[in-house]
Amino acid sequence: MEHMGVEPGRLNFSWISSAESSKFVDVVKGVTETVKALGPNNNFKKAAKVA
Amino acid sequence: MTEFEPKIVSFLCNWCSYGAADLAGVGRMEYPPNIRVIRIPCTGRMSPKFFLAALRQGADGVWVSG
Amino acid sequence: MITFKLNGKTVQGEEGQYILQVAQKYGVEIPTLCHHKALEPAGMCRLCTVEVFDGRRSRFVTSCNYPIWEGMEVKTDSEDVHQGRKLIVELLMARCPDVPIIKELGNKYGITETRFKKQDDTCILCGLCTRICTRMGNSAISLTGRGLDMKVDTPFHIQTEACLSCGACASVCPTGHITLEKIRQNVSLDPFKSIPSEYDMGLKGRKPVYVPYAQAVPNTPAIDRSVCIHFKTGGCKVCTEFCGVNAIDHEMQDEIVELNVGAVILTPGFTPFDPSKFDSYGYAKHPNVITAMEMERVLSASGPTGGHLVRLSDHKEPKKIAWFQCVGSRDMNKCDHSYCSSVCCMYAIKEAVIAKEHAGSDLDCAIFYMDMRTHGKEFERFYNNAKDKHGVRFIRSRVHTIDAVPGSDDLSVRYVSESGETLTETFDQIVLSVGLEISEETKDLAKQLGLDMTEGSFCKTTSFEPVSTSKEGIYVCGAFQGPKDIPQSVIDASAAAAVAGESLSSARNTLTKAKEIVPEINVTGERPRIGVFVCRCGINIAGVVNVPSVAEYAATLPFVEFATDNLYSCSQDTQDNLVSIIKQKNLNRIVVAACTPKTHEPLFQETLINAGLNKYLFEMANIRNHDSWVHKTCPDKATQKAKDLIRSAVAKVALTQPLKESDLQIKPSALVIGGGLSGMSAAQNLAQQGYETHLIEKSGQLGGQARNIYQTAKGEKIQEKLPELIKEIENNKRISIHLNTDLTQVDGFVGSFKSTLKSNGKEEIIEHGVAVIATGAHPLEPEEYQYGKDPRILTSLELDNKLINDDSMINDLKSAVFIQCVGSREPDRPYCSRVCCTHSIDNALELKKRNPEMNIYVLYRDVRTYGEREYLYKEARGKGIIFIRFSVDDKPKVVIDKGRMVVQITDHILGRPLELETDLISLATAIIPNRDEKLANFFKVPMNADGFFVERHAKLGPSEFATDGVFLCGMAHYPKPIDECIVQGKAAASRAVTLLAREIIQTSGTIAEVMPISCSSCGVCVSICPYSAPSFIEESARFFPGKAQVNPVLCKGCGLCVASCRSGAIRLKGFDNDQIFAQIFALNEAV
Repeated sequence: MEHMGVEPGRLNFSWISSAESSKFVDVVKGVTETVKALGPNNNFKKAAKVA
Repeated sequence: MTEFEPKIVSFLCNWCSYGAADLAGVGRMEYPPNIRVIRIPCTGRMSPKFFLAALRQGADGVWVSG
Repeated sequence: MITFKLNGKTVQGEEGQYILQVAQKYGVEIPTLCHHKALEPAGMCRLCTVEVFDGRRSRFVTSCNYPIWEGMEVKTDSEDVHQGRKLIVELLMARCPDVPIIKELGNKYGITETRFKKQDDTCILCGLCTRICTRMGNSAISLTGRGLDMKVDTPFHIQTEACLSCGACASVCPTGHITLEKIRQNVSLDPFKSIPSEYDMGLKGRKPVYVPYAQAVPNTPAIDRSVCIHFKTGGCKVCTEFCGVNAIDHEMQDEIVELNVGAVILTPGFTPFDPSKFDSYGYAKHPNVITAMEMERVLSASGPTGGHLVRLSDHKEPKKIAWFQCVGSRDMNKCDHSYCSSVCCMYAIKEAVIAKEHAGSDLDCAIFYMDMRTHGKEFERFYNNAKDKHGVRFIRSRVHTIDAVPGSDDLSVRYVSESGETLTETFDQIVLSVGLEISEETKDLAKQLGLDMTEGSFCKTTSFEPVSTSKEGIYVCGAFQGPKDIPQSVIDASAAAAVAGESLSSARNTLTKAKEIVPEINVTGERPRIGVFVCRCGINIAGVVNVPSVAEYAATLPFVEFATDNLYSCSQDTQDNLVSIIKQKNLNRIVVAACTPKTHEPLFQETLINAGLNKYLFEMANIRNHDSWVHKTCPDKATQKAKDLIRSAVAKVALTQPLKESDLQIKPSALVIGGGLSGMSAAQNLAQQGYETHLIEKSGQLGGQARNIYQTAKGEKIQEKLPELIKEIENNKRISIHLNTDLTQVDGFVGSFKSTLKSNGKEEIIEHGVAVIATGAHPLEPEEYQYGKDPRILTSLELDNKLINDDSMINDLKSAVFIQCVGSREPDRPYCSRVCCTHSIDNALELKKRNPEMNIYVLYRDVRTYGEREYLYKEARGKGIIFIRFSVDDKPKVVIDKGRMVVQITDHILGRPLELETDLISLATAIIPNRDEKLANFFKVPMNADGFFVERHAKLGPSEFATDGVFLCGMAHYPKPIDECIVQGKAAASRAVTLLAREIIQTSGTIAEVMPISCSSCGVCVSICPYSAPSFIEESARFFPGKAQVNPVLCKGCGLCVASCRSGAIRLKGFDNDQIFAQIFALNEAV
């Protein structure tokens, strides 16, 4: 993925069972923070849309 | 400038994380409003094509959760 | 209807409405402090002043109590209005400078300082409190005095009996002037009590109108008449003003409903033991001594502390917690409950592990216990992990006194260690592991029904009919039958249903009504005409998300013909309305934006069917659980998210196609594999419920291990009962018995299995709709304790055989030694065999009965006589049977020397080696499942590391497999005594009948489908599918030989094959690539 220009952190994986609501919330927060820190996705977006 | 609000496309397994998300709702737990959920029957359904498409279409992040 | 202008826009309102009401309906904000929806407006705060133009001149009026009239022009936002409001805010700021809500208003209107002289009041004299008090039918407070002296007060400024301390005044007070504390001190003479929430064990309050707990079924609120003010004064009824659908009826009366039934099943459950009567534990005295049930709530994410582990006295995070076992169990002195409650050891370990997970590893958890009883499936492993991985401390000691540590909320505990030392330790919190008890109401009910009860006040049953009470037609299950955990209760429940079903089977389907089938409209090829229904869910969604704007937005999306919002989309009237709109507008795709599809999709799909649409032309957007409930602090973003989710759902639904569900006939017959007690019970029940049953048994006779057992824990002689049961089975016309038979091949799937039976070289194929696996278990052949070297060393079952045959050897014995855990609870076999403690003690008592002079020793690790089996343990000790404990790393040794047989063991009290000379050694050998890989493979069912089959769900599906149509019972599931085997046999039959009784089942529409043209026959799908749904089309087939095909019955629609297909030849109907892409694209569109 990195090779193609996608920063690690844009793509997130996790495993949460249906009973783990608090884990869900923690992961959402984590993922949002990670992506926020990376800033907008410009590298990979279709060229036409970047403008 | 307002703070950057990323758009995160999320693929959640119907049986696991989707249920957890429902339960988080029942528990009224707050979390950032940046994720947009696509319900998939199982993470087995996930194909790299999907998250590449999402990123290509301008999503700032992708989250796959089983 | 009255039409007028509001800020230049034409609006309409009902005759008699006030300006403020109409403005609120149109979303025009007018500030107010003294308005309440349920109360007549009073115009007290003046903040809601607006400008009214009557054609000639403008006037300023308070909008809350100014009625609307035809043609008026209202301005809520003009410069003059603002000037006026600013002045009012400034005056309020002078009167109440420290009230947050006034400060907020000041900020809004740009006023930081007031020009007037500051006072330090907190009351703005809005009069809401006095008006609500009147509304409560009470008038305990009113506005007293005039002009400057005006204030809210009680008559004569004294505390009054008239106040019911309902707290309504405090709840409406906008400034926080009235608090519950003030009511208690200055107003009411009534002792002030909050209403304890039953669900949260009183750790939290609840309202008079309440839903017992979040997952309650039905999930509708109830009014608690004992505390509701309306039922005390006749006033209030405020709730009716807020209910948008007029669902509240205060006049409803209790009804007596008479039902004519053929069977009654009692499931009254238990109550947790109340430890307040124990002085020594100080439960009533120390806030940090809590019950395990309270601990459950504290650990729960939806509990009073939101899952944050704190102690109750000071909300400090505890660093040391102790659990005390057997509070209200195994105790004759204080509570008269000599039984074991069965579940407490396990729940205490669970709580300790969860507490550590919540609080981090530096939390110290100690469990004080007598015997650790983890006799359930996978429980011993959990216990070992708690000890070894999580570091939970297990201390074998019964603590009798807790003392408060002076000057702190901590608690000091004195106990005697195993080595006899007296130790003192301080804990932050103590959890009492309270036992299970039958409530007085339940005892009364049992008395009224004339049921026989046990010593512990549980319902009396026999081992062979464990769910039948002493009254015919009345059955029992769950904790009322005996203390038990969830899996056992669930098994019981299925069994009770099965036994009741036996007598009711002739009445099956006599009261069911056939549903009218609406013919399905063919929409193939039609342009999508999408209807979007946005649900307000009362205020659940609309309170956060701007629902009208979302619906408005939805209407602009491609292919959307119609969009609207509903108050409650799931209510019956809305459903009917939905059907008529679908028909009227000729809609062919539906999106409902509401709650979660996991609970509500079937309901809306039903509505589609009623409207003649295929149920797959439907999509839900989850704007409640995933949106309004979790983003309530950012309504704008939540509204945006709702729009995005709906756009994505609309994009997907436009591409959905009607999917077909095929009918599958269920063959009304069953195959039971294993002719032991469990299998026989299953077969007997299936047959009595009306189904042809084949019972196959490997050996030459029915009965299984039960043939080797002398008596049950309740003293019933098995060898008298067993032949009766076998005879009944043999005489049952619906049961075909296949002895000396092996299963050699199984084809097919739920509803139509084809099994090949091989017996004496002959093969026979039988067809059946369901299968029950009851392959049982056998005793371990021991390799330790000199077994096999001396005829006096027996296994438990060998001793049973001697008892059955009344062997003369038994009657000449002078002493006997029972050694427990032979092969169980060992590193190689880390499970407890569940039955051996009871069995050995039972046999020991039998020996003692035959020869009271005999010396009997039981060498054990933990005595696990759970439930009312504990009485046997008590009796054994009373009769002088000696129990000596050993640990797994210091096992007893058997020495045979010149005909003398000696057992050497270290005494656990004296710490000294002992030598016991004996004439008999009975080894409690482990129970080992009859591991059968071939069978597991035939039915695609899993086995655990120990070789027991793995059920669908450890708690909620213990008698069935994840594979449809295959069921499980008896010792193939886990070691269990006779009564539990019988109960599970019936439970498996019960689960099977739920399927058989349906006669026809529908396959799902959302399944994978192979496009054979693109298939490269690589076989990845065939090997990857966990359900074995894909297969190759036979080479001899006319079309597409060698290509893959998916069996729609076996396919669960997970999509694994779709993602793994290299040729892109498999599609998942309902979750097609184009649909998911459409969703992705829709989500990323800039709005």
